[in-house]
Amino acid sequence: MNALERHRKLTEIWASDKGFKGWFSTVNHNDLGRMFLVTAFFFFIVGGLLAMLIRVQLATPHSAFAGPEIYNQIFTMHGTVMMFLFAIPTFEGLAIYLLPKMLGTRDLAFPRLTAYGFWCYAFGGSMLIVAMLFGIAPDGGWFMYPPLTSAIHSPGINADFWLIGITFVEISAIAAAVEITVSVLKYRAPSMSLAKMPIFAWYALITALMILTGFPPLILGSVLLELERAFGLPFFQVDLGGDSLLWQHLFWLFGHPEVYIIFLPAAGVISTVLPVMCRTTLLGYGWIVSAAVALAFLSFGLWVHHMFTTGIPHMGLAFFSAASTLVAVPTGVQIFAWIGTMWKGRPELHLPMLHILGFFFTFVIGGLTGVMVAVVPFDWQAHDTAFITAHLHYVLFGGFVFPIFAGVYYWLPHFTGRKRFFCLGELAFALVFVGFHVTFLAMHWVGLLGQRRRIPTYAPEDGWTAINLISSVGSFILAIGIAMILVDVVLHIVTAHRGRRNPWNATTLEWAMITPAPAYTFASLPRITWRDPLSAEPDLAVSLARGEGYLGTPRHNWRETLAVDIASGKPEMHVLYPANTRLPILMSAVTGLFFLSLLMKFYWTVPLAMGGVAFLAWKWVWGLGLRQDQAVQSVGHGLSLPNAATVARSPGWWGTAFLLTANATFFGALLFGFAFLWTIAPGWPPPAWFTPSIFELGVGISGAALAPLAIRHATRVNESGGTPFPTVILALCGIVALGFACASLMWRAPTPNEHAYGATMLVLGGYGTFHTAISGLMGGFLTAQIRSGYTSANRRAAFPIVGLWVKYTSATGVIILLAAHLPGLIP
Amino acid sequence: MTEVLRILIAPLVWLASFSAIYGLHGLLCQNALAAVAGFPAERAVLMAAYGVAIALQIILLWILHHPRFAAPSGLLRFVSRASGWTGLIASVWTLFPVVALPTCF
Repeated sequence: MNALERHRKLTEIWASDKGFKGWFSTVNHNDLGRMFLVTAFFFFIVGGLLAMLIRVQLATPHSAFAGPEIYNQIFTMHGTVMMFLFAIPTFEGLAIYLLPKMLGTRDLAFPRLTAYGFWCYAFGGSMLIVAMLFGIAPDGGWFMYPPLTSAIHSPGINADFWLIGITFVEISAIAAAVEITVSVLKYRAPSMSLAKMPIFAWYALITALMILTGFPPLILGSVLLELERAFGLPFFQVDLGGDSLLWQHLFWLFGHPEVYIIFLPAAGVISTVLPVMCRTTLLGYGWIVSAAVALAFLSFGLWVHHMFTTGIPHMGLAFFSAASTLVAVPTGVQIFAWIGTMWKGRPELHLPMLHILGFFFTFVIGGLTGVMVAVVPFDWQAHDTAFITAHLHYVLFGGFVFPIFAGVYYWLPHFTGRKRFFCLGELAFALVFVGFHVTFLAMHWVGLLGQRRRIPTYAPEDGWTAINLISSVGSFILAIGIAMILVDVVLHIVTAHRGRRNPWNATTLEWAMITPAPAYTFASLPRITWRDPLSAEPDLAVSLARGEGYLGTPRHNWRETLAVDIASGKPEMHVLYPANTRLPILMSAVTGLFFLSLLMKFYWTVPLAMGGVAFLAWKWVWGLGLRQDQAVQSVGHGLSLPNAATVARSPGWWGTAFLLTANATFFGALLFGFAFLWTIAPGWPPPAWFTPSIFELGVGISGAALAPLAIRHATRVNESGGTPFPTVILALCGIVALGFACASLMWRAPTPNEHAYGATMLVLGGYGTFHTAISGLMGGFLTAQIRSGYTSANRRAAFPIVGLWVKYTSATGVIILLAAHLPGLIP
Repeated sequence: MTEVLRILIAPLVWLASFSAIYGLHGLLCQNALAAVAGFPAERAVLMAAYGVAIALQIILLWILHHPRFAAPSGLLRFVSRASGWTGLIASVWTLFPVVALPTCF
């Protein structure tokens, strides 16, 4: 088979459905990465237009442009759109598009999950935009502090759109994070050890792990606030044992890491693009990886620095002030490594490099003002002023938008296969750079003069008029610059000439293919022995196109790739991908029905939607089942590997493990909330504790002990060729017993809308009951698979996955039961 | 996965001890303890916790430097040790207010 025949055959196997319909059934990372990026930039335009409206409003004193009600919606939606609908999805889109190419594999770990995540994002984002068009958009600020956003003070549907819409969108972020984590760890080219990974993959891995542990506290906060608004459970009402500070803790437990979740992928772009622009290699690869890890962890210890003015004791403030200053060190390590890279290379001022220089200048200023606000006395003065708004824009625009523009121009020839010839980009960069600094330097100044953030207008005698006008003029220059970049990109896509492959002479693997990238990505998979593979093997692209790598011969119309050992990159298993399907869009639509039902308070459709999701999830996984044992497959170069369905640690197991990591963070945040209310909130102890029951506790704990033991035994029986059916049924009995105890906790919880304690018991019981229902569903699924001949000693991958869920449910169930029953049992 | 755990363990322990001591501080300030030999018990408890946090980091750092437990790959060995130092420095610096500031003011 020659290269052209191979290309045609692989394209036939991997291509999406033709035409418009293909958008809805594609599961290919090339399509979905582009769809994510285009949608994210659409939201960027929306957020940008909202920013212009803000600047119009503030350009003159006593502005009558928008009344306070509309203005509140405008600034809330600007922050919300930029943070949740632009920044994070842009990272997801870039990672989804680039990672398989950089890692030397054909797709991400779970292609249908990628599609599901995209549609959840598109539908959730659309909900918020529709709300805005109808004038009922969220209006409580992008961090939605109660009591302002409680039902008492914000009785409309506006806040519900935020709480429910953002939670819907966050499903997408969690899905992408699981996808990226498993892909980076397991889906790499043979012999690509962790030490040989491209630097962008390290950043993507760290960011994905941060999303898995950073987003759940916000999801929890949104659930609790929506429960308070919809059903009167008083988690944030001080007079009923709640505390509005709990929201601030949960929000900023997410919100501060979020800043680094946005910055780190951009830093990954810089670490990738800068060495190419400087004709050299990255200086201090190990230092940069270490700094990124340190930054990720330290960012989780900073959340209270957003709460310096809430009356926390000085020692508490000092902990977070110290952590906030420390975070500058790993950031500085990266900056110096990049400066060193420029120093040792020969920088060439191509357009991506201009944006990188824009990043350096802007982000360093943002970092320095960050150190200023980390100092408590200064923060007390600057808190909630325009100075903070200016600081965060220096960090986020400098630390994300400039690097992303650098990335857009760097990878544009890869996306399109074309060569830039319009020179609008250079002028656009100049306008963006000047416009940005005029806008936000002025905003620092007016903030120091005392202008509070989010005010709808001000009086001439405040003395802020000239500065605000300068800021508004700057913002319009910035907007013109960004519009020119978008026009430049569109002109490039539509009209530019075909370009050569690898126009930058880069050394990373994504350039070892024809551009635009084919649906199958690599005709055969490379063996990687160097961190800069194209520098070691300049003809690698040709050799891979000839099928000289692994899996070079298409067969059985399979979409196939390899998974490897995490550390060494040694090939471990042969993986078959699913084909195009509309299941992801259908499932996200039904998921959307669930959220929409909650939003519109059509509660009778909620169980319908949950049943629909369960049915589709069942169908989703059932389709992966195999009815015949799988022999080891030859993958080329004399290597034969087992199928992923025949190993204990399949990709599904890894995906489950990381999903449960996010779930455990959610549960941990719930326990933190309980402990916080108990120890800090006024109005405790509650009027009545939960009445303990030795019987229910005993039944629940026995069930929790029985279920994992039984499923473990079933796994062993299956592996030895026996019949696991009876022990799986035994595990189901254990789950039912645990479910009974958790449901009883919900049923007997003290009246939940009279005190936050009762509300917490209800949520804890609900969490346990929901998880026993999921474990029960999975146990039922396993039983059905056994009965239908989908499992054998060879096809064993489903057992450890169900086992993980059962163990998790049991462990959390025991904690829930002890937390509920023990206080009443202890005299 | 062991390789990844080697990198994550020290900062994870820092994060746990940092959060735990912050929580402990809140608890101690809500429920005043009796002084022990004229020394405020809250401060003694927090200083002990600070000591334990630093000791844990020193032990982890020693483990990460020990040939028996160190990562086999050069880069991962470097990154895991750098993370170990990050954990230790972060513990010393971010929890230093325990010894420098009044406890419940």
